[in-house]
Amino acid sequence: MAEIELRNIAKSYGDVEVLRDVNLTFDDGEFVVLVGPSGCGKSTLLRMIAGLESITGGEIAIGGAVVNDRPPRDRDIAMVFQSYALYPHMNVARNMGFSLEIRKEDKALIRERVALAARTLGLSDLLERLPKELSGGQRQRVAMGRAIVRDPEAFLFDEPLSNLDAALRVEMRIEIARLHQELQATMVYVTHDQVEALTLADRIVVMNRGRIEQVGTPLELYESPANLFVATFIGSPKMNVVDCTADERGVHLPGGGIFCPEAWSPDFRPARLGVRPEHIDLTAGGQGDCCGWAEVVERLGSDTFVYVNVDDWGGMVARQSGNAPINPGDRVGLHFDPAQARLFDNAGTALYASETNRA
Amino acid sequence: MERQVTAAAGRAAPGTPQRTSRGRRLTLLKVAAEPYLYLSPALILLSLVMFVPLVIGIGYAFQKLSLTDPFDRGWAGLDNFRTLAGDRHFWRALTNTLWWTMGSLFFQFFLGLGLALLLNRRFAGRRLVQALVFLPWAVPTFLSGLTWAWLFNPLIGPLPHWMAALGILSEPYNILADPDIAMWGPIAANVWFGIPFFAITLLAALQSIPKELYEAAAMDGATAWQMFTKITLSFLAPMIAITVLLRTIWIANFADLIFVMTGGGPANSTQIVASYIFTTAFRRLDFGYASAIAIVLLALLLAYALVLLSMRARLVRV
Ligand SMILES: Nc1ncnc2c1ncn2[C@@H]1O[C@H](COP(=O)(O)OP(=O)(O)O)[C@@H](O)[C@H]1O
Ligand SMILES: [Mg+2]
Repeated sequence: MAEIELRNIAKSYGDVEVLRDVNLTFDDGEFVVLVGPSGCGKSTLLRMIAGLESITGGEIAIGGAVVNDRPPRDRDIAMVFQSYALYPHMNVARNMGFSLEIRKEDKALIRERVALAARTLGLSDLLERLPKELSGGQRQRVAMGRAIVRDPEAFLFDEPLSNLDAALRVEMRIEIARLHQELQATMVYVTHDQVEALTLADRIVVMNRGRIEQVGTPLELYESPANLFVATFIGSPKMNVVDCTADERGVHLPGGGIFCPEAWSPDFRPARLGVRPEHIDLTAGGQGDCCGWAEVVERLGSDTFVYVNVDDWGGMVARQSGNAPINPGDRVGLHFDPAQARLFDNAGTALYASETNRA
Repeated sequence: MERQVTAAAGRAAPGTPQRTSRGRRLTLLKVAAEPYLYLSPALILLSLVMFVPLVIGIGYAFQKLSLTDPFDRGWAGLDNFRTLAGDRHFWRALTNTLWWTMGSLFFQFFLGLGLALLLNRRFAGRRLVQALVFLPWAVPTFLSGLTWAWLFNPLIGPLPHWMAALGILSEPYNILADPDIAMWGPIAANVWFGIPFFAITLLAALQSIPKELYEAAAMDGATAWQMFTKITLSFLAPMIAITVLLRTIWIANFADLIFVMTGGGPANSTQIVASYIFTTAFRRLDFGYASAIAIVLLALLLAYALVLLSMRARLVRV
């Protein structure tokens, strides 16, 4: 196991700059998730760590040694591909033992290691099958088995679950979490699914357009997003963001009220107010920080999502626990939680009073 | 449709058991015969163009049928085959066929494979080169045969001089005139002519190999050579088996180049079975004997095809 360090990593394809100024350290045994919208450069970064893409700027060090010019086979890193990339002409056992076969390891040792990994992943009965004779979930397991048989310095996962259906995805997510606890290995995991990121990660790296927006634990990102991008990317349904004006007393609400979040400072000049759906309380009638009309009500049993058209502001979503007594067409008042409302300046940077912890 | 309905209705009514079973048998017959009715035009056409000539040809082999002796006709039994067993020219032609086929195939295959691997890489002008590779195919056999014959002619062609300069020949002479090595002339022409076939088919197979398999292998620690043997060759194996099979049969029967370049000479040294059949049938006009040779060649090629196809069945797992 080893730590991985990225120093000023940049990547361009011709004139197109895909990554720039990436500085990151993955600690030994840490589970880090790279998350971001499609096309932001996550796979590219992962493949640069793997050695499958050349590095156009900066340095990558694994276990203290710079590996920029080392081919993949000298980096001792395993990778699980989105498409699994199983060898279709080899059975499961040979797929899993291929890295050892390549190293001309002893046949008995290969069989033993493969059997062990197969037991961990529940593949023992499938060792003789060809990949085409397996289900999607089983193929996914074989791909992971191929990685763990080697006992590498680090594991890389590129959207390993995105080809599975929803139920299987949850199951395999738990499997991966269990595997990490068992192996205590450094794992870098790429996904565009924030639920995977929040549930699996020790730390999350939020990327956007080839740059890192924020690095932090799942809770840090949820509670103290550094900017508007992170604030709206993490959390589901998305954080409500509305344009606002403010003076030294607080944010002007439609209807003339003033809203003053807990972390307010008189020299803030916020341009936007962000409140997560779960931090809005609804009351029937016209009383609250602001008012609007309930348009759509979704009842999920455990929660109720209410889509409110707020006067002069537009649509906002509020999440009420349980079965809230609100119906479409009702006049509702919205109460924002002052401790959880976030403010953003013109450039989208989050505003925090100096004593508040900022990641 | 109507009959099926009747049959179903009959089954429902227990009073008419006889009609039911006859109806069902008729329906079954109809169902069984139907596909063959649809296929019949193709089947009839195929048997007309393939089986009828084949059977007639096989029939000739057991007859005396020589146009130089038109009145001595009739059933010959195995006479033609007995003559064949003692025919020095036939055995010579069979050995030559082996050399011709294996020599051409060996170089066509390995040079074609090499070319396919090269063309599978990215480089500037790849499309143009890919198009040029087809060129030998676009040239009529007759023309390429003549061109190669000229190339080997020391009076007008450069090849003898180059070979002499390289020390392959003691002096620049026409190898097509030397019975010991004349066969290499048509083989060289055939290699040039046949490389595109292997290059193009193998290139298509190469391009169907998913790129990420190589990435997975790289992550698994494979060297370039290991990737080639454990992934590329495994994927190419079915294509290699089928192309080698097709090509062998085709080359063994391919006498055009030889005919144009050497006419089977000098002293029968480049006569192959196919050209021997041609000479026997159309020069000596002995159709019975020619058919007997053709049947032996057919049997040999069939045996070869069976061996290769069974090997392929074991190779192919994908
Ligand atoms: N081989 C390539 N040539 C040119 N551009 C590429 C290449 N590979 C990826 N890109 C570009 O790099 C960007 C990042 O791609 P990628 O890392 O695959 O994104 P992600 O995995 O985050 O969805 C994309 O805009 C993509 O178009
Ligand atoms: Mg990707």
